[in-house]
Amino acid sequence: MNNLAKFTIGIFFTLGMAWLAFVVGARSQFGDLVPTSEVLDDDGLVPEDAELFPVAISGMAKQGAEEYAALGCVTCHTQQVRRVEAGFDVERGWGKRPSAPRDYVLQEHVLLGNSRIGPDLANVGLRNYSDEWLHQHLFEPQSIFPSSLCPPSPFLYQQIDEPVITDIKIVSNEVTKETRYVRPTVRANRLVAYLQALKQDYELPEVSFVETEDVSVEEEDVVSTDVSTVSVSAPKWLQDQIDTGKEIYMKASPGGGMCFACHQQNGEGLAGQFPPLAGSDWVLGSKERLIKISMYGLMGEIEVNGVKYNNVMAPPGIPPGSLTDDQIANVLTYIRNDWGNSASAVSAEEVATVRASLKGRAPMQMFTSAELTTPIQ
Amino acid sequence: MSDDSKQIGNLPNDKGFSDEDIVKSHVELSKTKHEPTANFLLAPLVFVFVFGCLIFVCSIQLSHSTNSFQLHPPVEIVELSAEEKESLRLDRKISSGEKIFAARCASCHQTNGLGIEGQFPPLAGSEWVSADSAVIANVILKGLKGEIMVKGKKYGTSAAVNMAAVPINDREIANVSTYVRQAWGNDSTEVFEDEVSRLRDESSDMQDQWIGSELRKMFSDSFSQ
Amino acid sequence: MPADSPDKVIDRSAKLVFSFFLSSAGLWLLTAALLAYVAAAKLTDPFFLASYEFLTYGKIKVAQANAFVYGWGGNSIFAVSLWILARLSQAEVRGSVFLVVAGVIWNLAITFGLLGIMDGHMSGHEMLEMPTEVWPAMLISYLIITFLALVIHRSRQVRETIAPQWFILAALLWFPALFLIAWNGLEINPARGTLQTVLSMWYGQSLVWLWLTPVALGAAYYLIPAILGRTIDKYYLAIFGFWCIAALAPWSVVHHLEGGPVPMWIPAVGTVMSIAMVFPIAVASTNFHATAFLDIGKVWDSLPLRFVIFGTLSYTVSSYIGVVFSLPAVAKITQFTIINEFHFNQRVYGFFSMIIFGAVYFALPRITGREIPKAAKSFHFWTSTLGVLMLLLAYLIGGLTHGVLAGQPSLPWSSSVIQTIQPYFLITKFAFIILAFSQFVFVVNVWRVIFPNPFVYFSANNKEASV
Repeated sequence: MNNLAKFTIGIFFTLGMAWLAFVVGARSQFGDLVPTSEVLDDDGLVPEDAELFPVAISGMAKQGAEEYAALGCVTCHTQQVRRVEAGFDVERGWGKRPSAPRDYVLQEHVLLGNSRIGPDLANVGLRNYSDEWLHQHLFEPQSIFPSSLCPPSPFLYQQIDEPVITDIKIVSNEVTKETRYVRPTVRANRLVAYLQALKQDYELPEVSFVETEDVSVEEEDVVSTDVSTVSVSAPKWLQDQIDTGKEIYMKASPGGGMCFACHQQNGEGLAGQFPPLAGSDWVLGSKERLIKISMYGLMGEIEVNGVKYNNVMAPPGIPPGSLTDDQIANVLTYIRNDWGNSASAVSAEEVATVRASLKGRAPMQMFTSAELTTPIQ
Repeated sequence: MSDDSKQIGNLPNDKGFSDEDIVKSHVELSKTKHEPTANFLLAPLVFVFVFGCLIFVCSIQLSHSTNSFQLHPPVEIVELSAEEKESLRLDRKISSGEKIFAARCASCHQTNGLGIEGQFPPLAGSEWVSADSAVIANVILKGLKGEIMVKGKKYGTSAAVNMAAVPINDREIANVSTYVRQAWGNDSTEVFEDEVSRLRDESSDMQDQWIGSELRKMFSDSFSQ
Repeated sequence: MPADSPDKVIDRSAKLVFSFFLSSAGLWLLTAALLAYVAAAKLTDPFFLASYEFLTYGKIKVAQANAFVYGWGGNSIFAVSLWILARLSQAEVRGSVFLVVAGVIWNLAITFGLLGIMDGHMSGHEMLEMPTEVWPAMLISYLIITFLALVIHRSRQVRETIAPQWFILAALLWFPALFLIAWNGLEINPARGTLQTVLSMWYGQSLVWLWLTPVALGAAYYLIPAILGRTIDKYYLAIFGFWCIAALAPWSVVHHLEGGPVPMWIPAVGTVMSIAMVFPIAVASTNFHATAFLDIGKVWDSLPLRFVIFGTLSYTVSSYIGVVFSLPAVAKITQFTIINEFHFNQRVYGFFSMIIFGAVYFALPRITGREIPKAAKSFHFWTSTLGVLMLLLAYLIGGLTHGVLAGQPSLPWSSSVIQTIQPYFLITKFAFIILAFSQFVFVVNVWRVIFPNPFVYFSANNKEASV
C-alpha cells in the first residue's frame, strides 16, 4: 500500500481479472458468432443451401438504425426479449421466443437498452403495424395512445396544408382535436423502415419458439385512427376506381384478380420471386405495358427497380385472363395509387384500345420482356 | 492525541486533528494491536461470520445460476427414437415443400391443389403426381408442353410451362415434389434429392420442355389411369 | 498561529486549482439541473418543447447524465482529490497552470460532447454517448491531472498511506483504464453483437462504482477524523474493505443483464459478486457510522459532517438495496423500471454529491480564508435533503409500481402501466425544481467565497465561528 508502484499493479490486477472475464473471456466465447440456419443437420452442421439467420438489414432500414441511435430512442425502449424464467416478455407477446446473442451479430449499433418507459421493440416488425400507423405514432404518439410519454417528433415531418393522396392524416388528441396532414421526410421513412425490419421471427438451433397461452390484452384506450392514406381531395371517380380496384386486387374468388397472393397486400412482393409493386418502375411507367400483362401474363427474365426476376405470371383473374376492361382499369388504377405510388389512372377505354390491338393473340400466350419494349410514358 | 485535539478544526487555527496527526494515528492503528481487553472483541468475529455466510451463499448461487458457463441457455434435450427422428425429418421436408409450393406453384395450381379447370391441371388425385417420382421431378425440371389428359380432362392446348426459367434447386424440387405427393389426400412416396440430381444430369441436353404424351409413355406402367 | 503553517502553504498552492475546478463543477451542476428539469418536465407533458429536435427526450436525458457525471462529477473529483492528497501528503500542489489548462480542455471536450449529443451524433454506448471526437481530449486532459496528482502523492512526507489515499488514488488510476478498455472494445476494435452491450454496461456501471464511489469514500475517510478529532473506529477493517471493493466491484456491475441475450454466466456472476459486496459495504459502513455515532452531537453541529454522514448513510442503504435488486427473483420485477433511476440518483446524488458538498464546505474556508455563513449552508442542506428524499421516494415507489404492473401481461402498456406511474413523474419534476434551487444555493455559497465582492467581504469579516 505504501509503494505506489505495487499499489498500482495491485489495483490494475483486480481490474484486469474482471476484464479477462467480461471482455477477453466473453469475446472468446461468443465473439465469433455468425448467422446460422434454423436447424442443424444430424452432424450439427449447417445444411447446404439453408437460409441463414439473422439477416442483415440494409438500405433504408440500415439508415433508420442510425436515426434511432441518434434520437436516443434507446433511453426508453429496450430491444431484448428476456428468457421466460427471467421475465414476462414472451408472455406479453413481445416476441415468439427469447432473444439470443446471435440475433444481434449483424447489427452495427446494438441498442439493447435498459429502461422500459416504452414497450420492447425487438419484434415491433411482427406486430402488424402499418407504415401509416408508425408514422402517426412518430409524429404524435398521443394521437394513438393518449397516455403515452413518447416524445412527439414533428421535426421528422412536413405539415401539409393541401394534402394529396399519400399524406398521412393525424387526428390530434389534444384538447383542440384538430386534424392535420403530414408528409414523412426521408428520415421518417428510414426510421419506419428500420422499425418494420425489427423482427426475430426465425428459430435458431439454440433457441426455439415458445408456446404461450393466449393472453388477451385488455383493449387499449386507442383513439380510433383513420389509417387511410387517401386524402379528401381525390375526386370521387378516382376514389371509386381505387376502391373497386383494391377489392379486385384482394379478391381470391371469381371476379377478383388474386394479385395479393404473389404481390402481397403491402405491394412488396417476395424477394427474388415476385417483384414489388410499391415504388416499381413498371407500375409507375407505361400503362400499355401494364394492360398487356393484365391480359396475357408475363414470363421470363425482367428487371424491376434494378433487380432481376425470372418467374411466370399468369394473367390476373379467376380463371386467369378473365378480367374485363373495367376490372383491369380499376385494378391498375389501384396499384398505381397505393403504397406510396401516385400515378395517373387507367381508363376502360384505354384498356379496350389495347385489347383491340392484340386481337389474334392466342389466349395465355404470355408476354416476355422483349415483347414489351414500349418506351416508358 | 492531546486534549485540545478534541477541538473541531476552526479557522484559521488548525490545531486539533491536523492532517499529520490523522496520517500518523491511522498508520499507528494499522501497525499496533489493540490494548488488552477484558473480553474478546466482538466486531472481528462478527465480520468473520458475515464473510463466511457470504461465501456460502455466493457459492450456492454460483453453482445454481451460471448454466456451467455455457454460451447458450439450457434447452430441453429430448432423446428421440429413430422413428421420431425420421418422422421429424419428413415433417420438416414437407413443411419446406409447402412453403415452396405456396410461393411458386400455387398461383396457378392453387393452394388447394385443384388447379383451374381448362387452364391448370389439378394436382390432388392426379395420376401424374402419383406416378413414378421421376415424372413430377422431370416436369418441374424442364416443363411440359402439348396436350395431356389429367383425371379425364384435357389440358395444355398451347401454353407451355417454361419451368427452366424458374430458378429452383434439386433440394427444393425434392421437397416440393414430396409435399405435392403427400398433400390433399395424395399418398405417394418421398422424392429424394439425389434422384432429382440424376434426372437433371440425364436431361441436361434437352433444350425444350418434355412433350406430355412422350413423358407419359416413358413411365406408362406407373400411371394408375 | 504563524502565517506560514504548512497547511496554509498547501492551501495557498491549491487555491487556484481548487477554485477553478469547483467553479466549473458548480456550473456543470446547474447545467445538469436544468437538463434534469427539462427531462422530467417532458415526462409529465410530452409536448413540452417537443418541436425542438435537439431537445428531444432521448437526447436530453443522455445529456443530463453525461453533464452530471463528467461535468459535475469530474470537476469535483479533481478539486477534492487534489486537495485531500495534498493535505495528506503534506505537499504542495504543483503545476497549477497545467492543471487549469487540462481542466479547460476537459470542460471544452465535454461541452462539445454534449452539443454533439444534442445535434444527433450519439454513440449509443452507456455513459459514452458523447461523439468519439472528444474522447482523446478527455483522456489527455485527465492524464495530465492524474499525473500531477501522483506527483503530489509521491512527494509525501510520511511514507505510509492511509485509507483516504488508497481510495482516491485508485479512483484516479482506474478511470483511464476503464476508458481505454471501453474505447478499444467499442470503437477501435469493436466486438460484435451483445458483446458490445456487456462492455458498455461494464463501463457505465464501473464509472459509478470505481470512479465516483471511491473518491467519495476516500473523502469520507478523511473528513470524519479531521472534523471529529478521533480516529476511524475499527480502522483495521478498512484495508479489507478497500481490496474487496477493488476485487469485487468490477465483477458485480454486470448483473443488470439478467435474462438478456448474453450467456447466463455473465449476469449470474455479477449477481454473486454483488452479494459478496455486502462485506465491503458493511466494512465501510461500520468505519463511518461507528465513528460518527460516538459523537453524534458534533456530527450535527458541523455542516460539512452533516453532509458527509448523510452521504455515507445513503451509500450504505443504496448499496444494500442494490444487492437486493441484483437477485434474479427481484430483478424480474425491477429490471427496466424507473427503480434504476432511484438507484442511480441515490448513488450519485444522495451519496456522491452530498459527500462532495461536505468536502467543499470543509475545504473552502481553509483555502480561501473566508467563511460561509452557517445559515446558508444549513439552507442548502435542508433543501438538498428535501429534494433528494422526494426524488428517491418517487422513483422507488413509482419503480416498484412500474415493475409490478409491467409484469402482468394482460395490462396494456401505455393506458395501464404508464398511466399509473405518471403521478410519480410529476413528483420527480417538483423534486428536480427543489434540487435545482438547492444546487443554486450551493453555487452561490461557493462563488461568494471564491469571487467575493466588497459587500460580501465586509460581512464575511464578521467571521462567525461556524464550520
